[in-house]
Amino acid sequence: MTRIVAGSKKAALALPWLLAAVSALHGELPKPTESQVQAAYLYNFGNFIQWPANTALGSSVSFTICILGEDPFGSSLNAAVADRAVGGRAVVAKHIMNAAEAPSCQILFISSSEDTRLNKILQALNRAAVLTVSDMPAFSDQGGMVQFILKGNRVRFEVDLAAARKAGLTLSSELLKLAARVKGNSAAGGQ
Amino acid sequence: MLVSSVALLLACSALLAYDVYTFRLGILDNLSTESQIIGSNSVSALLFSDSHAAESTLSALRASRHIRYAQIYTPDRRPFAGYWRDGKVQAQALPAIPPGQTQVHRFEGNGVALASSILFQGKPVGFVYLLSDLQSLNERLKGYTVIATAVLLVSLIAALLISRMCQRVISTPVIRLAEAARAISREKDYSIRVPAPADHDELSTLVVAFNEMLDQIQQRDTALLRAHDELEQRVQDRTTQLAAANRELEAFSYSVAHDLRAPLRSIDGFSQALLEDCVDKLDSDGKDYLHRVRAATQRMSVLIDDLLNLSRLTRSEMHKETLDLSALAKSVANELQKGAPGRSVDFAIEENLSANGDSRLLRVVMENLLGNAWKYTARHSHSRIEFGRSQDAKGRPVCFVRDDGAGFDPRHATRLFGAFQRLHSTSEFPGTGVGLATVQRIVRRHGGDIWAEAEVEKGATFFFTLSE
Repeated sequence: MTRIVAGSKKAALALPWLLAAVSALHGELPKPTESQVQAAYLYNFGNFIQWPANTALGSSVSFTICILGEDPFGSSLNAAVADRAVGGRAVVAKHIMNAAEAPSCQILFISSSEDTRLNKILQALNRAAVLTVSDMPAFSDQGGMVQFILKGNRVRFEVDLAAARKAGLTLSSELLKLAARVKGNSAAGGQ
Repeated sequence: MLVSSVALLLACSALLAYDVYTFRLGILDNLSTESQIIGSNSVSALLFSDSHAAESTLSALRASRHIRYAQIYTPDRRPFAGYWRDGKVQAQALPAIPPGQTQVHRFEGNGVALASSILFQGKPVGFVYLLSDLQSLNERLKGYTVIATAVLLVSLIAALLISRMCQRVISTPVIRLAEAARAISREKDYSIRVPAPADHDELSTLVVAFNEMLDQIQQRDTALLRAHDELEQRVQDRTTQLAAANRELEAFSYSVAHDLRAPLRSIDGFSQALLEDCVDKLDSDGKDYLHRVRAATQRMSVLIDDLLNLSRLTRSEMHKETLDLSALAKSVANELQKGAPGRSVDFAIEENLSANGDSRLLRVVMENLLGNAWKYTARHSHSRIEFGRSQDAKGRPVCFVRDDGAGFDPRHATRLFGAFQRLHSTSEFPGTGVGLATVQRIVRRHGGDIWAEAEVEKGATFFFTLSE
């Protein structure tokens, strides 16, 4: 009996390595991490949102994605935006420490480390044409435009259309139809 | 019939093939459009990994009844979202798209598959794969086959009817014409005519012209026969005339000779009487004169006999048989030798020469030719007379009699065979000059010819041929 139990324990330990080995043999890529997915989404948002013409973007030669606060992405955001363009502009990833720099960005990801300073940050932005994204809970309730949520192991997002409109941003229906929840829309959207 | 149906079949098949080809291209084109629409609508779903959204996009394909299966793949070729028209089955593997192309299609079994990559801002964000059945194509093919068969049958029947009609109007009269022509050629009956068809078209013109031509031929034929008969009649008349003329001539020459003989006999008789009875009253001159008169009358008698012979010979019947010329020549030579045994003459007579002719007449020929040779070599102490056969320039057999005697001047050769023509005076060589004329007549009656070559004092050769 003990020998069988000991054997099964060893098998249980070995299992994950086996699975990894099997999946490696099958040639499957390792599943992306949550941060990687979020980084990809951040870049892709740029293709489905229209920024108003008479803003910082108009005179800029680059499309800037900024990260405010603790950087959860590491190299994944840089990898996601390398050699990419949005509307003909080269995409650049920037890490800022101060909300004052925020208006020069097109997309601002607010790290969950800044959850206490959220109100001040949002006020600093005050109708600047910046898309605010975060994964901190109840972000959209507090005035954020796009909130990352995890739904059944998949990264989804909720959209506050009213907040986006206030900033002068137009979100494509392609984006909205993929959102888990759309708030601030007269026509009911999402689930 | 066979030709027209084959032609029709080929035409229909060609059209069908072309139609199928263009229709397939059309199906492919539609499929390509659908895949592009699906693709562009699935971009955001792919970018944001929302397979549910992609599936709802794909479910719109239910409106395209021909699409059996559709699948969207992630950039690493993993199935992302699928649509099955007839109940969910396993997801299929994406076929490889060759580099440099964004699409690849394949017609397989009962469907057509199209795989294309979805591009967003120039970069591939996934793949879409559509599988469509060829129901519409099959239905079209079926419909086309039915229509083509119907059209084929109808046109074949029409062709059959028209060809029957044409046969009646065109082929039958032409065949009748040909048969009539053949019958006429075979039986040489120029009274045959072809009945002309009632209507006044090109065929009746042909038949009428044919009949007219036959009229002409018949007329010519009749004229020909008449001319032939006329000629026959004329020939007969001439022959009768000629025979009559001949008989007259014979009677004339016979009576002439006969009548000429009587006074001759008188002259000769009375001259002889003078010589015998009045010998003492005559001096030597007188006797000499009388001798001369007698010699002359005798010569004239011989002349008359020769003339009679000549005329008789040309009219007498010929009995042709195969005879031995060598024996004949030898017999004649013997007689000549017997007549003058003192003479030294060599006869070189070729052996076994045979000929086909009248023996009596040919004997006369040999007597004359050999006799002449004997006569004209009399002046030489020793002579040689040859008789043989050789070949002329064309290789035909020619007989010859050669002597080495007095010969003659070849310039006068044309006179040789004229009656009474002599190339030597009587004092040199006796003779009446009828011999060669006789020989020529006989040789010509045998269908041959005679000619001579000679040199003065070097001898003469007489060549003759008998029938060809």
